[in-house]
Amino acid sequence: MKISIQVNASPFQYQASDSAWQFVRAAMAGGHEIFRVFFYHDGVYNAVRDARPPSDERNIVQRWSTLNAEQGVDLVVCVSSAQRRGMLESSVAHKVGGYEDAVADGFRIAGLGLWMEAVIESDRHIIFGAPS
Amino acid sequence: MSKRLTFIIDKPLHGDIRTQEFLDAILMAAVFDQQVTVVFLGDGVYAIKQHQKPYALDMKNSLPVFDTLPVYDINDVVVEQESLGERGLTVEQLQIPLTVLSREKLSQQMAMADHIFSF
Repeated sequence: MKISIQVNASPFQYQASDSAWQFVRAAMAGGHEIFRVFFYHDGVYNAVRDARPPSDERNIVQRWSTLNAEQGVDLVVCVSSAQRRGMLESSVAHKVGGYEDAVADGFRIAGLGLWMEAVIESDRHIIFGAPS
Repeated sequence: MSKRLTFIIDKPLHGDIRTQEFLDAILMAAVFDQQVTVVFLGDGVYAIKQHQKPYALDMKNSLPVFDTLPVYDINDVVVEQESLGERGLTVEQLQIPLTVLSREKLSQQMAMADHIFSF
C-alpha cells in the first residue's frame, strides 16, 4: 500500500512525532511504501536543525534525518507554517537576513501543493497531531 | 484523479493559528480539483459565527475566507445540528450558507469520503 504521513505537532512535547516515526518504520518493514512525510502546523519543529535533547534521550530530528539518509523517505516541511515560526528556507533567509541553516539535513521546504499531491497519490493519508 | 476529501473544523477560528492554516489546506485541495466537503463540528461552529471582532485581540479577521469558498467551487459545507443545539446557536447566526445535518446523517456522509482531515 502507498501511504503518506502528516505530522501536525511539535516533537518532544507530544507523542505524535514518535508515533509517526514508529509507524513509518513499521509500515516500511511490512512492505508498504511511504510516499512522503509532510510537516504542518507546529509539526515543522520536527525539522529544527539545532535541537539538542539530553544525550540519554532520543533525538527526534536526527531520527528523521537518518530515515531520509538511509531509506530515502521524502521529508517535506510546509513553507508557510515554517516561515511563520522562524524556520526559513536558505534562499529566503539570505534575502531577509535570517538564519540560513534552520532546517536539518534531509528535510526540504515546499508548499501545500506537495501535500495535496501526496494525498492524491496515496492509498492512505495518516495524520499524527496534538490533542486540542 | 479526483477524490472525496472531507475537512473537519472542530475549533474556533481565532486564538489558534491551526484553523487559519487548515483553511489554506482546504483551498489547496479545491485548487487541485478535488471533491471537497467542509464540516463544522463541536466548537468549530463558533468559527463561522457572525459579528466576530478578532481585531480586539489583535488578530486578523479570517472570516471573509469562508465567503470565498464558492469561488473555489466548494459548495458542500455542512454543520452538525447537535453541535449548534448544544451551544445554543441557530443556523441564522452563522456567516455562510450551509447544510444542517444530524449527527447520524453526517456520520453516514463521512463514511463515503476517501480521506478525512482534522487538526
